[in-house]
Amino acid sequence: MKYVLSFNLNGLPVDTLVKATDTLLDVLREKLNVVSPKRGCDNGDCGACTVLVNGEPVRACLTIGLTVAGKNVQTVEGLQQDGKLHPLQRAFHEHYAAQCGFCTPGMLIAAKALLDKNPKPTREQIVEGISGNLCRCGTYVEVVEAIQAVAAGKYKE
Amino acid sequence: MKDVLYFAPTELTEALKLLAQYGEKATILAGGTDLVPRINYYELKPEVLVYIGNLGLDYIEQSDGKLVIGAATPTAKIAASPLVAEKAAALAEAARLSASPAIRTAGTIGGNLANASPAADLATPLIALGATVVLVSAKGEREVAVEEFFKGPGETVLQPGELIKEVRVPIKKGKSVFLKLGRRKAMTLSVVNVAVYVEMEKGQRCVDARVALGAMAPVPLRCKKAEGVLQGCVLPMSALEGAEFLDKARIEKAAELAIAESSPIDDQRATAWYRRKAGKVLVARALAAAAGVAI
Ligand SMILES: Cc1cc2nc3c(=O)[nH]c(=O)nc-3n(C[C@H](O)[C@H](O)[C@H](O)COP(=O)(O)OP(=O)(O)OC[C@H]3O[C@@H](n4cnc5c(N)ncnc54)[C@H](O)[C@@H]3O)c2cc1C
Ligand code: FES
Ligand code: FES
Repeated sequence: MKYVLSFNLNGLPVDTLVKATDTLLDVLREKLNVVSPKRGCDNGDCGACTVLVNGEPVRACLTIGLTVAGKNVQTVEGLQQDGKLHPLQRAFHEHYAAQCGFCTPGMLIAAKALLDKNPKPTREQIVEGISGNLCRCGTYVEVVEAIQAVAAGKYKE
Repeated sequence: MKDVLYFAPTELTEALKLLAQYGEKATILAGGTDLVPRINYYELKPEVLVYIGNLGLDYIEQSDGKLVIGAATPTAKIAASPLVAEKAAALAEAARLSASPAIRTAGTIGGNLANASPAADLATPLIALGATVVLVSAKGEREVAVEEFFKGPGETVLQPGELIKEVRVPIKKGKSVFLKLGRRKAMTLSVVNVAVYVEMEKGQRCVDARVALGAMAPVPLRCKKAEGVLQGCVLPMSALEGAEFLDKARIEKAAELAIAESSPIDDQRATAWYRRKAGKVLVARALAAAAGVAI
C-alpha cells in the first residue's frame, strides 16, 4: 500500500508516493534526493538528520513521513537566499565549524531553530540548543563560536 | 512484508472507531520518538498506524482547580509553559531536563506515559503531584491515577482500543521539586530521578508529603513509607506542636525508607548499587528543597 504524501519542501510543493513506515528521512533522501539530512543512527541519538517542520526542529529519522502532510519542511538546501549563503552557513565556514561535515547540516538546523526563537542567546543557551547534535570530529567549540558570531550580528547582509 | 495501513483522523470519535475496529493490530503514533526507532530497527512490525497528532489533543489549560494537559502536547510546550512552571514546578523541570530540543518538540506527554519506561521523566512528577490520566475508548471514559497506570516495563493498564486523552494535575498549595541524574546533562535517560511534593502548614508543619522515584523499580514508584515519616513533622524552630522534628535526620530517614522500597537493577546506565547511593542523596536533596530545610 502506497500513500500520496504532499507537503512543502523549502517553499515548494512536492508530492511523492510513500509507505506508512517510511520516515521523513527516507522520503527526503531516498525519494526526493534531498541529502543534507544525514542518517547517522536512525535512532534519534545523533541529530544529523535534524530538519525544521513548521519551524520546529525535529528528527527526520523519527518522524513518520505521512505525518508531515500539508506542513512546511525546511532543510539546509533551503537556507540560502538568492544564491547567497545563510549567515549561519557563512559563519560556520569562516569559523572552521565543520571538519568532515557529517553533523553540519543538523548543527545548522539546530542553530537556526535556536536563533529564530532566541536571536541573542547566551553561550549556555547555545550549548543547550545544540545539545542533541553529536559531532564525531569534535567541532563543538567552533560551532558555538560561529553561532555566537551570528547572534552578535557579524554576518548581517 | 505485509502492507502497513496508516490513518490520520482529525476527530477523536473517528480515532476511537479505528482503534475499536483494528483492536490489537492498531498502534497509536504520537511524536514517534519512542516508537519509530523500534520500527526502523524491525523490533516492532506495526500493522495499522493511527496518528493522533491531528486530534486537537495539544493543549494546556486550567480548569476546576486542575491543570489539564492534552495527551499529544509536546514536552517542549510543557517545558515552556509559564502555567505549568507556576502550578506544577516539578513537571516543568522534568520536561525541561528531558532529552534535547528536537526530541522535545516531537515527543509528547501521552507517549512518555504510554511507553511506560521505568525511567520516563514525566511520570515521577505526575505521581508526586497526584495526577490522573483520562483514558477513552469507543465504550467510554475512565480516570486512572498515574501511580496505578503502570504495570511493568512497557506495560500499562491501557486496553486495546483505548487511548490517553489527557492528564489532569491537581493544583495544590505545596512545593514540588524534580531532580534527575543522568550519564550526561542532555539527551539521556535518567540513571535515577526523584520528584517530591511537600506542603507545609504555615511554612512549619508538614501536612502532606509525596515521594516518587524513577528508574529504581520496574515501574515509576511512589514511596509511601518515606512519606509516612514526614507527615505531621514540624520544623525544629517552630512554635507549632508536632510529633517529630522535620530536620536533617528525619529527611535522611525518609530517603533511606524510599530506597528500601525500591528495587533497582544493573543496566547499561548504572549499577543497582550506584542507583541506591545516588537515589538516596537525590531524595534527601529534593525533600530538603521542598520543605525548606537545610541539610
Ligand atoms: C534520543 C532520545 C532521548 C530521549 N530522552 C528522554 C529523556 O531524557 N527522558 C524521557 O523520559 N524520555 C526520553 N526519550 C523518550 C521519548 O522521547 C519520550 O518518552 C516521549 O515523550 C515519547 O512520546 P512520543 O509522543 O514520541 O511517543 P510515541 O513514540 O509516539 O509513542 C510511544 C508509545 O506510546 C503509545 N502512545 C503514544 N501516545 C499515546 C496515547 N495518547 N494514548 C495511548 N498510547 C499512546 C504508542 O503507541 C507507543 O507505544 C528519549 C528518546 C530519544 C529518541
Ligand atoms: S539519524 Fe536521526 S538522530 Fe541520528
Ligand atoms: S564535523 Fe565531522 S561529525 Fe561533526
